[in-house]
Amino acid sequence: MSTYTTAGAQQQQQQQSSMAHDASSSTDERARFVEYSCGDCDAPVSLKRGEPIRCRSCGHRVLYKKRTHRMVQFEAR
Amino acid sequence: MRVPSQAELQERKRVQIGIETTSNAQSTDFPGHWPGENHEWNLDYIKENLNVKFHTSTPFDSEFSLIGIDTSVANAFRRILLAEIPTLAIETVFIYQNTSVMQDEVLAHRLGLIPLQASRRGLNWMKWYQKPTEEDEGSGAPSDYNCAILRLNVKCEWQEGGLQRAARGETDPDKLYVNHSIYARDLQWQAIGKQAEMFADGPIQAVNPDILIMKLRPGQEIELLMHAMKGIGQDHAKFSPVATASYRLLPTIDIMKPIIGADAKKFARCFPKGVIRLDSVTSEEASELDCKENEVKAVVANPMRDTVSRECLRHAEFKDKVKLGRVRDHFIFRIESTGQWESEDLFLESVKLLKVKCQRMRRGLDAMMN
Amino acid sequence: MPPAGAEPQPQSFTTPEVQVSDQPHDTEEADAYMDPNLDRERIRILPGSSETAASFQFDNEDHTLGNALRYVIMKNPDVEFCGYSIPHPSEAKLNLRIQTYDNVSVYTVLEKGLKDLEDLCDVVIDKFTVAREDFKSGGQDTEMRDAWGRV
Repeated sequence: MSTYTTAGAQQQQQQQSSMAHDASSSTDERARFVEYSCGDCDAPVSLKRGEPIRCRSCGHRVLYKKRTHRMVQFEAR
Repeated sequence: MRVPSQAELQERKRVQIGIETTSNAQSTDFPGHWPGENHEWNLDYIKENLNVKFHTSTPFDSEFSLIGIDTSVANAFRRILLAEIPTLAIETVFIYQNTSVMQDEVLAHRLGLIPLQASRRGLNWMKWYQKPTEEDEGSGAPSDYNCAILRLNVKCEWQEGGLQRAARGETDPDKLYVNHSIYARDLQWQAIGKQAEMFADGPIQAVNPDILIMKLRPGQEIELLMHAMKGIGQDHAKFSPVATASYRLLPTIDIMKPIIGADAKKFARCFPKGVIRLDSVTSEEASELDCKENEVKAVVANPMRDTVSRECLRHAEFKDKVKLGRVRDHFIFRIESTGQWESEDLFLESVKLLKVKCQRMRRGLDAMMN
Repeated sequence: MPPAGAEPQPQSFTTPEVQVSDQPHDTEEADAYMDPNLDRERIRILPGSSETAASFQFDNEDHTLGNALRYVIMKNPDVEFCGYSIPHPSEAKLNLRIQTYDNVSVYTVLEKGLKDLEDLCDVVIDKFTVAREDFKSGGQDTEMRDAWGRV
């Protein structure tokens, strides 16, 4: 039932380009972080490749990758 | 030409109800059915005999009797009320973020079922949404006159000091989190184009602001956009303007032989309260009924309150003393609106829609003949 | 989706963006809605029909119109037989059979039936409106109550 719309993809491209713009203004390193959230304390965790998978505030080892901001269309029926 | 007596006509339109049977349910008022009688279509006769009586009239719940009309027509009104009067409902949901425990499609379905209300003027102004066709790519784009935008953006978070309270054993979500429940009141309508003007005297919002859509916990977030469009109940039940629209036939109770004393009390208990009244027998009646003065006798007070449970037919002492039935052309309509229209306007709209159906068919027929 | 007349459209993609139309659209669609040619397409005469005995097929109609129309047509003394059926529940089609006496045309009978039903609707609207006014102004007795005793 779900469908991805072209318009949504366009919007995301716009967002990505704006993000890339922000990143280049600070550091390129920023772009290589991936955002997770801690499975125990819900704190946001940014990890680089090779880093130990562990929450910085509570030490919990289960992290969840966040859902993308991509738009999904549903019929309300 | 033979003209049947009033009593005979009454008897003809009585549906008889036995212990396990109903009979005489079919209408017979057609030419050629009763020898020598005229049952030709006669608008003046209908005007004379059609009668409307109101029982309850609140904006969203009304009850009235429609008397002197055939079942086929009354049923057409009921069917139109359920399935053919257009209302506005959420039709498409664009989900940008949903990190709650509720699946996207379940959430979209729940949103669709929320009854909406808005200014009558604006709703009448809004048009059907035509889906784009494959041949014409530019067609069917949602526009301000056929599509309303609603947004829902909620993020649940810990309250100030909520985490500590939770550690101490507090479990009340009101004391721990902010935005832990999403209600229908959280839907935000965004007026576009001419909508701001047309809906000036009533914004698009949920009829009941307290409908719980979903619950969230800290870190969970909902971000979505909805399109509300006009549709009809035939397409999906969410478009039906009524919670229920139904009719029942007026029940009748005929006491053929007097029911007196303890039997009368038992008889009254066979019916809902208020249907049977217990009167004292007067001295004149006493000799006639062969009983003592001041004994009670059962009298039908208000058959309309009867549910026709047929309980009285199960007892041997009432055998041949009572006849149950219903009046075939007395429809007690009950219309409960979901809030977008007023109940009585809904009924009028259903009659108008039946008329429009006929008009369109007649125009089509005319076009075919020429 | 209109109640009748248009074919069901295939599921398709839409965008969250909503246009603001600068065209006047107050009457335009209402006219398209009442286009007699659209309604003409919805009526067919089934094979084997004659001037006094014909079967009509209506698209996108159901028991709502079918039964009411059958009743009104049966009230016509020129009609020998009138009946309707929905040949298959998954097809939005209504078949209506009319047979008449004395060389009366089925078309005039059908036309009269539709007209009579419209007149009946007008009577119902009038009576209902008057009764509602009466009730609102407290003129009508409120003695009758429903099965649960509500006023």
